[in-house]
Amino acid sequence: MVRPRVRKILADLWGNRMRSLLVIASITVGLFAIGVIATLHRVMTEDLRLGYAAANPPNIRIVAAPFDQGLVDHLKKVEGVRQAEGLRGFDARLESRPGEWIGIEFKAVPQDETRQIAQVRLVEGKWPPGDREVVIEQYKIADVNAQIGEWITIELPSGKRRPLKVVGVVSDQTVGAFASGPGFFLAPVQGYVNQETVEWLQQDLPYTYNMLYITVDGDSNDETRLWEVANRVRDEMEHAGGTVINIAVRGSYDHPNRRYLEALAIVLVLLGFLIVFLSGFLITNTMQAIIQQQIQQIGILKTLGSRRYQIILLYMGLILVFGAIAALTAAPLAYRVAFQRVVPLAKTINMAYRGPRFLPHVILLQVGMGLLVPQLAALAPILQGSRISVREALSGVRESQQGRRGWFDRMILRLRGFSRPTLISIRNTFRRKGRLLLTLTTLSLGGAIFIATFNVQVSMDRYVDMVSRYFLADVNLTLARPERVLEINQVLSDLPGVAYVEAWGTARSEMILPDGATGENVQLLAPPVDSRLVDPVMIEGRWVKSGDQNAIVLNERFMSDFPNLRVGDVLRLRLNGKETDWIIVGYFQLAGRSSGLLAYTSRESLLRVINQPDKAMTYRIVAEGKDLSKEEQEALGRAIEARMAARGIRVLDVTTGSYLSSSAAQGFAALTGFLLFLASLTALVGSIGLTGAMSLNVMERTREIGILRAIGATNRILLKLILTEGMLIGFLSWIIAVLAAFPISKLLSDSISQALFGNPSTLAYTPTGFLLWLGAVLILSALASILPARNAARLTIREVLAYE
Amino acid sequence: MDSPALPDRQPIIRARQVVKVYPAGGRPVQALKGVNLDVYAGEFVAIQGKSGAGKTTLVQILTGVDRLTGGEVWVDGAALHRFDENQLAFWRGRNVGVIFQSFYLMPTLSILDNVVLPIDLCGDYHPRRSRELALELLRQVGLEEHAYKLPSQISGGQQQRVAIARALANDPPLIIADEPTGRLDSVNAENIFQIFQSLVNGGKTVLMVTHDEGLASRASRRLILADGEIVADDFVPISVSEATNKTDD
Repeated sequence: MVRPRVRKILADLWGNRMRSLLVIASITVGLFAIGVIATLHRVMTEDLRLGYAAANPPNIRIVAAPFDQGLVDHLKKVEGVRQAEGLRGFDARLESRPGEWIGIEFKAVPQDETRQIAQVRLVEGKWPPGDREVVIEQYKIADVNAQIGEWITIELPSGKRRPLKVVGVVSDQTVGAFASGPGFFLAPVQGYVNQETVEWLQQDLPYTYNMLYITVDGDSNDETRLWEVANRVRDEMEHAGGTVINIAVRGSYDHPNRRYLEALAIVLVLLGFLIVFLSGFLITNTMQAIIQQQIQQIGILKTLGSRRYQIILLYMGLILVFGAIAALTAAPLAYRVAFQRVVPLAKTINMAYRGPRFLPHVILLQVGMGLLVPQLAALAPILQGSRISVREALSGVRESQQGRRGWFDRMILRLRGFSRPTLISIRNTFRRKGRLLLTLTTLSLGGAIFIATFNVQVSMDRYVDMVSRYFLADVNLTLARPERVLEINQVLSDLPGVAYVEAWGTARSEMILPDGATGENVQLLAPPVDSRLVDPVMIEGRWVKSGDQNAIVLNERFMSDFPNLRVGDVLRLRLNGKETDWIIVGYFQLAGRSSGLLAYTSRESLLRVINQPDKAMTYRIVAEGKDLSKEEQEALGRAIEARMAARGIRVLDVTTGSYLSSSAAQGFAALTGFLLFLASLTALVGSIGLTGAMSLNVMERTREIGILRAIGATNRILLKLILTEGMLIGFLSWIIAVLAAFPISKLLSDSISQALFGNPSTLAYTPTGFLLWLGAVLILSALASILPARNAARLTIREVLAYE
Repeated sequence: MDSPALPDRQPIIRARQVVKVYPAGGRPVQALKGVNLDVYAGEFVAIQGKSGAGKTTLVQILTGVDRLTGGEVWVDGAALHRFDENQLAFWRGRNVGVIFQSFYLMPTLSILDNVVLPIDLCGDYHPRRSRELALELLRQVGLEEHAYKLPSQISGGQQQRVAIARALANDPPLIIADEPTGRLDSVNAENIFQIFQSLVNGGKTVLMVTHDEGLASRASRRLILADGEIVADDFVPISVSEATNKTDD
């Protein structure tokens, strides 16, 4: 025979199914959110890391003047080198739509697929590509606008066009690995062809390489060690007559989007904690009501000899059953939803998703929290309920509650000018202040996170705006080879729509560390000294000005990576194989640590250093009209390209300003989209809280409702009473949510910004979130009140007056 | 009015100068004003009085359901005034069977489980033995065939008989009932009284608050309370010792 006290637990659970469902729902929604969050966190962290490592990514990439397989074989013997492979990479353009050209980055692969480093995973079609065939990387496949089996047109830097057949789609984990900044998101379409196709495409010296991929022995995540091996390889390469242009290193687990994931992980963990709190409030609220309803039974139990600990254990047992049911419900639900959500996200951040899997620790976490958090949340009401004396419990009157009326109650009692039913609603709202407080907290926090999501979105847009301040042009033109600036200015100046043209110098350099070793890559950008297309945000010092000699302005990444470097110090860079000294005149803010090492100097200084006549490959063009749309920018780009073609000037790439911004924003859109999903979850927790509170309020006032009906209250009046109360709570919660949204927006925005850019955010606010939540909370409040109101209206007077 | 003592027996209940004050809003209300009472094993005591006289308060003090403000209470040798809430609960579960006017059965438990519950809480619980004992008690009150019903499925009189069976579950020497027949018709009230009478005949001590003059007159002893004091006690002393009472005070 099951012990009667256990029977009581089960009978209580079953006897009041609506109330039990409410508690279970409160716990379930929290566990569900935690399950989704923990699953996503685990799967993404694991798959991003392991997926990248599984591709056997290069630890060192060396860009060099063309070299052959003989040199590669020789370099394989260098100490610390595990694998070395030569690679041929080149840029071209592809026609995505008639007359529209976008950049494509080709990598040549051996036909027999003996490649070991940076292995790709076939998604669709075939691999490796045959002659005159191309395989495309999946992330930007949509931009290519061609299906497998279709032909695309490639335009080479020489201006020649060649058709290639698309034969497959692959996933390449190393996209953006060696680009600075949000490399993955800004990377062009990636295409893979074989060596024969390279020859056919008439690349110079087709059977040579211009890139060397190396993996190292031992710890492949120790950056110092990677640089040691890289420098040894460089020395050996140069010793063998090769010319090293550029070196970059990267750990075997260091996926290009690692920082993005870190930002996401922070959001996940933050919201996870918040949801646990919200769920806890919800449980406390519901348990308080349950204990309130059970007070008389507690009195009876005590009369029959039950001691306090037995009562506590009894209700903890009940909570345990609630928690267990919730965990069993939430775990499979969270599993399903999390693995559904991870698929689009995996594509967005180029994660090698390894499919749904059983995650025992997530289940354990859910079960553990399901059993523990409700106990903690319910502890206060249970302790309070078990402390009540038998006499108070049996009489239902608490001495501590007798005769007390605070200033707030007196103020509410003095309210005038409302109809009697409205007055009842207002007074009922504030009747159970503890419950109201918890309900408001839950709903307000959910709302505040919802509102904050929109503010974070705007803040991210502001980041894109900030990046744009350094690239203010409408069209960015890259030529196939350096052309005389005067000539290009002349060609473009009389083109309708063009207002202004600037020639920019760009160069890739390497830092020379104080001990003479080679350090990281530094991207050098060199606008004219009087450029109108850079509007820098200075952190320290000043921008480059006329008359400066070898002056350089560095981005904030230098500040965090090299804190000893100050304004006035000298920075040594290797440019085109030649070491030169640059004087640091200032630091500017771009996009924190995500942007890599970036420096601005004047075009004049750069030309002097690299000994180049007044020629440039990169031109930035501003249109006559202001704030051109994407289409207008594209039209101008086409016009510029046509003009160049007419003059026989070969164009490598034409990019609009809006394309750059939207590419940079793409990653954030996914991030904020995800944030919105999580915010909706918290809002759901909040609204379940409100439904629960309203149901409990109505349940407790069943007798009062009976009296109201007995004296003539119609269904409509009852509905109005309960709806007014629910919506009043909803509106109050909105006011608190608005206030709480400010610090929460700051917290979320700063956390993401720290993870992505290494600095606090420039927080912006938008009314969208505030207004949307007002609408949402009023609708939710109405919905949360309708069910209990309908239930109350359905009861007969006899039923409600008999209610115990 | 003081209760006289029997020199050759120890009382099962001994109350001395029991005072109970309730904090009712700003003005405290004195519900018991220095009550002295001795009850001996095997007595059937009926407590009477008007509403607000202090009957329920006295019963609650004697069962340990409520704490006294002043004075001392011994029940079967246990000094209730020195116990804390938990000790009172444990003591009560084993030593007193309490019966209420409103029955106070657990609505979600079967009749049988309601009877087993006190054994589970502080008795010597054994699944089979406890069940057999409960069924025997239900048989004694004539409700064996309703053992597996819920309280809501039986009548008020039957519910009160279940409450009596439950009060007897741990075989306490003392049964205290607060208006057990208050909600029952005369036939059911008579049934309940008969059960109490048989319990007294079996050696139990019964204290019963009642408004029913007919039933009270059939108890072995009648106490009348008014304004928190015992104003009448028809107990016939074998040897009255006022001096002893005064010494005890």
